[in-house]
Amino acid sequence: MKNYLTILILLIISNEIFPNEIQNTCEQIIKDYFGKNAVYSYVEFNISDNLRIEIEKKSGQKFFKNKVIVWYISGKDSVESIAILDNVYGKSLPITFLVFFDLNGNILKSEIVKYRESYGGGVVNESWLKQFNNRNCSSSFEVGSEIYAVSGATISSNSVTRGVQKLSFLAKEIIRKNEFKTASFR
Amino acid sequence: MINPIKAAVALSIFFSLQINAQFNVFEPTTSVGGYGELHYNYIKPEGKESLKSLDFHRFVMFYSHAWNEQWSFKAEVELEHNFVSEGEGELELEQAYVDYRHSKEFGFQAGVILPSVGMLNEIHEPPTFLSVERPDYNKNIIPTTWFGNGLSFYGSIEGFEYKMTVMEGLNASEFNAKSGIRDGRQKGFKANAEDLLYNARINYLSIPGLLFGASFTYNNATKDSTNNAVSIAELHARYRANNIYIDAEFGNISYSEGIVENSRGFYFDLGYNVGALLKWETEIIPFIRYSDYNTAAVTKIGGDSEKQYHVSQWMIGAAVKPIDEVIFKVDYSENEIELNKQMTSYFNFGVGYMF
Repeated sequence: MKNYLTILILLIISNEIFPNEIQNTCEQIIKDYFGKNAVYSYVEFNISDNLRIEIEKKSGQKFFKNKVIVWYISGKDSVESIAILDNVYGKSLPITFLVFFDLNGNILKSEIVKYRESYGGGVVNESWLKQFNNRNCSSSFEVGSEIYAVSGATISSNSVTRGVQKLSFLAKEIIRKNEFKTASFR
Repeated sequence: MINPIKAAVALSIFFSLQINAQFNVFEPTTSVGGYGELHYNYIKPEGKESLKSLDFHRFVMFYSHAWNEQWSFKAEVELEHNFVSEGEGELELEQAYVDYRHSKEFGFQAGVILPSVGMLNEIHEPPTFLSVERPDYNKNIIPTTWFGNGLSFYGSIEGFEYKMTVMEGLNASEFNAKSGIRDGRQKGFKANAEDLLYNARINYLSIPGLLFGASFTYNNATKDSTNNAVSIAELHARYRANNIYIDAEFGNISYSEGIVENSRGFYFDLGYNVGALLKWETEIIPFIRYSDYNTAAVTKIGGDSEKQYHVSQWMIGAAVKPIDEVIFKVDYSENEIELNKQMTSYFNFGVGYMF
């Protein structure tokens, strides 16, 4: 009994001291954007095979996994925005990024949650990520003409751009299905 | 009867693992990449026979393994000119280092690394520059690809990226007026570590599409009797936005010993993606280049010795990128040597890729 109690206390302490970095960063980004009193909740969204194949074909990039994390951010009495967390590969390591959409599927904000490569860190710059604002799944995401690549970070720029475009297709589907109406907030 | 404490522990472990599984995407990863380029070169010196060649100039394989989010290993092996035999072709271990990335502000690399001198030494995949061959400046003034054994610290702070390197020095016995420091690279081969090289670079990246930076390198380069201390100061800029392509670089090398006191040069590229005007996804980038370099810009004896390696170059060309990772290039250039006004014409065609 004593041993189990010790393990339980250690688990509780460790979760407080070493909280999930990605989750905390995402929630901090949400609070920075919507205010510290923002009400939000997340779910794991499983992407059906048909939808996955269709979006991968349109965007020219495979999904990292067949599921993403979706945050629903609430306004006064209803969902006003969604945010999708996903990953793409840079030259060799995953880049974790979060994209906010309004309920018309327009991009409100994009943010790199974690960049792991030693080169090409320019994609984390706000000035580069701002290019995606107000685009949606009908917009052009052509690197070079519509989206400028970060000098010295061609692979990361292309990869993140395709990833953001991919999520714009997915956001349209999530919004269309109205799945957020059943979300519970905290 | 279920023990509530045991149940709480089990549930706590279960939910903790579930949350971590949802958010922590990292898994130990091994990946490969690479780049390569095939060149057709036609060289016509004024009043002399022309030379034509078809050469798979570079075939490079990139390999990396990440044990976790902080620790990884990266390597690049390059085969130049198809094969290696009797002094022809080169097989080189250009990069092989352990990388520790503590945070975006700080990381380090140790092994075979690239000093941060100019833009092309670290980023030289064919689709990232416009001409078929790397700019002559990056052969004669900044000797790309320059690699060696050592240690680097790097990071990014408020839109600035920095990198500081300590690595094997240069062999001053191999310096010469025609090729500057190029032949002095030890390339990691049982490198003499008597006099280390120190290099620092900073880049600014916060203006959309612009990379602007500078580097400084110092090495009291080893020689049999007296050392020859070299200092390399270099400025570089790259702009890639609104369909405009601009590359510019200037470098100066100072020597403490020998006949040559300074090598210096620059190049400037201006291109425009006309494919965008036609609403094409394929990028078509006509460009012009002006370059001027002199491996013996200032000498102790002056006069003609400062003119015989002084080259002025005009180039026109076009690069076509059907996708970002594949490029076809064509260019024509005329190089003139100041001393005898000797003109040489070059016509090059190339195809390159990276992944």
